[in-house]
Formats: sequence, structure tokens, C-alpha cells
Amino acid sequence: MVATNHDRLVTMSVQGNVVSPGYPGIPAIPHQIDHEGRPRLLPALGGIVYNVRLGDSVYGWAGDNIEPGVAIKSPEGPANQALNVFACVGNQAVVMSGNAKGAIGTVTGKSGRFAEHVILAFPPDVLDRLAIGDKIIVRACGVGMTVRDYPGVKLKSLSPPLLESMRIEENDQKLTVPVKAVVPPELVGAGSGLTSESGAICIQSMDRNALQRHGLDALRLGDIVALADYDSAWGHGYRKGSVGIGVVSSTDSIKAGYGPGVTLLMTAPDGEIDPMVMDRVNLVDLLGIDVGGAKA
Amino acid sequence: MVRTNRDQLVEMAVWGEAWPAALRSPYRPNDRGEAGVLMGTAGVILNVRVGDPAYGWAGDHVEPGVSIRNREDGPEHALHYLACIGNDAVVVSGEAAGARGVMTGEHAHIMVDFEPDVLEQIAIGDRIQIRAVGMGLEMLDYPHISVRKMSPRLFDKLRIEELGDGRIRLPVAAVLPAYMMGSGAELGADYVDQDMISNDRETLAALGLDNLRIGDILAIQDHDHTYNRGYREGAVTIGLNNHGDSFMTGHGPGVMDLLSCATDKIEYYVDTQQRPNLAAYLGIGNKSLA
Repeated sequence: MVATNHDRLVTMSVQGNVVSPGYPGIPAIPHQIDHEGRPRLLPALGGIVYNVRLGDSVYGWAGDNIEPGVAIKSPEGPANQALNVFACVGNQAVVMSGNAKGAIGTVTGKSGRFAEHVILAFPPDVLDRLAIGDKIIVRACGVGMTVRDYPGVKLKSLSPPLLESMRIEENDQKLTVPVKAVVPPELVGAGSGLTSESGAICIQSMDRNALQRHGLDALRLGDIVALADYDSAWGHGYRKGSVGIGVVSSTDSIKAGYGPGVTLLMTAPDGEIDPMVMDRVNLVDLLGIDVGGAKA
Repeated sequence: MVRTNRDQLVEMAVWGEAWPAALRSPYRPNDRGEAGVLMGTAGVILNVRVGDPAYGWAGDHVEPGVSIRNREDGPEHALHYLACIGNDAVVVSGEAAGARGVMTGEHAHIMVDFEPDVLEQIAIGDRIQIRAVGMGLEMLDYPHISVRKMSPRLFDKLRIEELGDGRIRLPVAAVLPAYMMGSGAELGADYVDQDMISNDRETLAALGLDNLRIGDILAIQDHDHTYNRGYREGAVTIGLNNHGDSFMTGHGPGVMDLLSCATDKIEYYVDTQQRPNLAAYLGIGNKSLA
């Protein structure tokens, strides 16, 4: 277990409401334009999603950037900014109102620009009882966490329990981190240039051959991946030698520049992370999350 | 001469006001976490014009000339979507009323170039109207090549050669690799731009990309911007540098979309003799390039 300041972290409640999906009103059209220029009308961000869960494939859904489980947002701008920055993957979420009051879930990721949601996993019977508008608290803990012997490595959206579960080892002055796959910089898309404290960055899926060549065509929600030659210390951008680690948090998209969303967990601008590709590295196993029997 | 549908284009007025710069917090981290002050976007920039270097200013996302914006959402989007590079602009109110300028790019604001004596007379809030023409422009024999944001006037200056077999070729100032494209990937190709990422100064210098000028015509390898902006091996996009460098991670000089093709039917070459740059092509801004 890598030495951190986890015992100095503050745990704070931040809150959001279960957010509704939305489309613009006419005469604007609700369609997204796909890679070939065809307009397609699909379910997209938001809401309570009953049948797309952690452990499911990111590909093949008749949907666009689907957030598995529950998406929450605070109606107040600054409070939503706090929710989105402070909530960390692996934090507990507690339902505070409605028919599922008292139910416990887990933060599994975030959505970025045009959404600004935090994504939560709950067992299926809880999803059944949740209503749009229900208040859900995240017991946020993780912001301010540092790795004692690696001051150049920055942690974002990473909870102490998740860090502990990731089986990170120290080898030759680098942190070896097990990952499912490594994303090359030319396939990093929407989210580039935006903040790494919240939101997500997409793996570009338009070029299916490129996806396959890099072993990115079988990703599942909750997989841990590495971003090669990308620096996410103060926002996301290309830098040769930098390495990032993230969790796949939303499904594929039909739009060029987009694809499965990745919530950033760690970044080493100067390259002190060594990703180690392994067969199974998924939140379902790492955190023992109950999503009603989904396979990882 | 490349066949187009220019006779079918509609010329329509859109307008904005010279828009003030705005700051929430004065500080923003650079790519090393050092706080810097963002100055350069919006307002009336008196000393940076199209054709000037994109790098080296003590500024961020510098928008050359006058930055205009409309305060109402609908008209603001009309300004963004209809105004094309090279369109005529005229000052409608204030001390400089009647003065004429040229639209040079789209960023957070629409940028208009005026001569220095006019720039000095423009006040924040002065209305500037653009004769927008170029939306809907097509190359009739090249349906596989998307065309955006160009006035017919600019289109004619690009020195496009027809090679047969659905292929064209044109000169550019520089070539960008796919991995260097950053902020703006989340936007459609009809809106604003996608920045090249300038944080890795070593790679930038090694690729010869550290001496760009605002207004440069650029090629992007393996990028398909026919609808949105994404990686596709073999695709080619041709763009125009609309604003100056940035210290924010994932940002840098911006690239507006002009032409794009999902396959390699757009060929390009770097012209070091006659710089492919908007200032040179239209005789505006920094005239030393003409």
C-alpha cells in the first residue's frame, strides 16, 4: 500500500438531486450527428438507467454517453461545482429522500462539459425505488490526498478505499498500476483542455481499426485504463512521457471526437507511473460493488 | 477554377457589440500549476492583428483586433454560425461609425480586423455589423470534402489545385499531428475551433510548430472534421489559426475548420516562399507577409 496522507483528509457531505434527461425544444432538433453525418435520436445523459451497469460493455448500446445507474447534479451552480470536484470514485452515496431513503450506493465516475453530473451505482432494487429529484448525499473524501514519496503524482477524484484496492506497487522509483488497457494520445478526445478535477475525458471511438489495434474494443464500465503521453495535472493535454490513470465511467458515443468517458484518478506529468496491462481490472471487483450480478 | 455554388449563397447581416473582457478570478494555473493572469480574450486589442506571431505574447488566447458578441442568445448564435472569414464588416455606431473592416475568425467572440486609427476610436458597446456570406458554400465536384466558415473571397485565395480523381491540393504554413489536437474536441466542427496543444515545448520545436502566425492555413493529419472533430486514420483537415497561444494545459493556438475529408483526397504542401496566411491573402492586418 502506497503511503499517503489519507488520515488527514476531511470527509464532507455534498449533495445533488437525481437529474432528468433533457432535450432542446423545437425548432431545435434533439438528434446527435454520427461519424458518417447521419442524425440519430438516442437516449443520452442523465436520469436513472435501469439496465446499463458497471461491468457491462461500453459498446453496442442504442444510447450516447449513457451514465450507468444514477446521475446527480445540484441545481445551484457553485454547489454543483463543489459536488463535482469533491466527490471521488469509491465514495459512499446515501439516498436522503423518497422511497429509497437510506439506501447506500457508490460513486463510479463523472460527466463533464454539457452535463456536470456525478454518476452513482446502486443495487437494482434501489434503482426501482428512486425518483428523479430525490436527494442523494455523497460522503466526499479524497480531495487533498497526496502520495508521500511521489510529490509529482497528482490524485484526482480518487478515494482512499479505491487507491488501496488498486494493488499499486513501487518499482524502481515508479508506481506500477494494473490497468485493463492503455490509450494512445491520438485517441484521447473530448475533455482535452478541460478540467481534470471533475468531468471526464473520452476515448475516441470513430476509428474502429485503431481501437482494435490498441486493445480498446472490449472495454467495460468500471475498467481501469491508462492514458499515454497525456498530462492531467492542471487540465488535460498532450505531453510526451506523461501518464494518467482513469476509470471508464460512461458508454460509447456516436459523435466524432467522443467515445467511452474516462474519469481521471491519477496523473504523473513526469512519467512516474508504469501501467501494467492485465486481464481484469474493474471497479466491480476492486470495490466489491453490488450491481445485481453484472459480469466484469 | 474549382466549381462552386457561390451564386446560390445568401448574403445576410449579422451583428454584435465590441465586447468587454471579463474575469472571475484573475488567476488560472498554467501546465505546471503556476498561477498566471489571463489577458487577451475579448475587448479591443490595439497591437495584435492577424498575421502577427501566435506565440510570444504575454497574453492568453489573444483575439486580434475587435472582439464582438451579441447579448441575445439567438442572434449570438447566428453571428457564430453565419459570419465567415473574409466577410466585410462595418462599424454602425460610435466615433468610428462607417469604418470598414474584415472578419478574421471565430473564437469565444467573432474577431474583426480594422486599421489602427479605427481601432483607437472603437468603444466597448459599439455595434459592428457583418455582411455574412459563405454558409452553404460547396465544391460541386467534391461532395466528400466539407467546406466551412469561408467567404467566397477567401476560398478564391487558397490556391486550390484540382488533381483529378476527386483530389485537391493546396499550400499550408504548417502540418499538425493528430495527438496535438486538444480543447474543442467536444464541440461540433461548425462551432469555434479546436486548439492545438502547445504545452510540450520540446515536441512543438521538434515539429517546427513554434513559429506560427495568426491567420496561418494549417493541415491536421488523421483528423476528420466533416461533422464533429475526431481521429480517423488517413483523414485530412485544413484549418486557419484564429487566436494566439495559451498557457493552459490542452490549449494553444486555435484552429478553425475550413475543409475536411474522411479520406486522403486533400493533399497539401508547406509553402515557405509565399506564406499561406489570411493577412497575406486578403491584404489585411500585418501586411509584411503580403
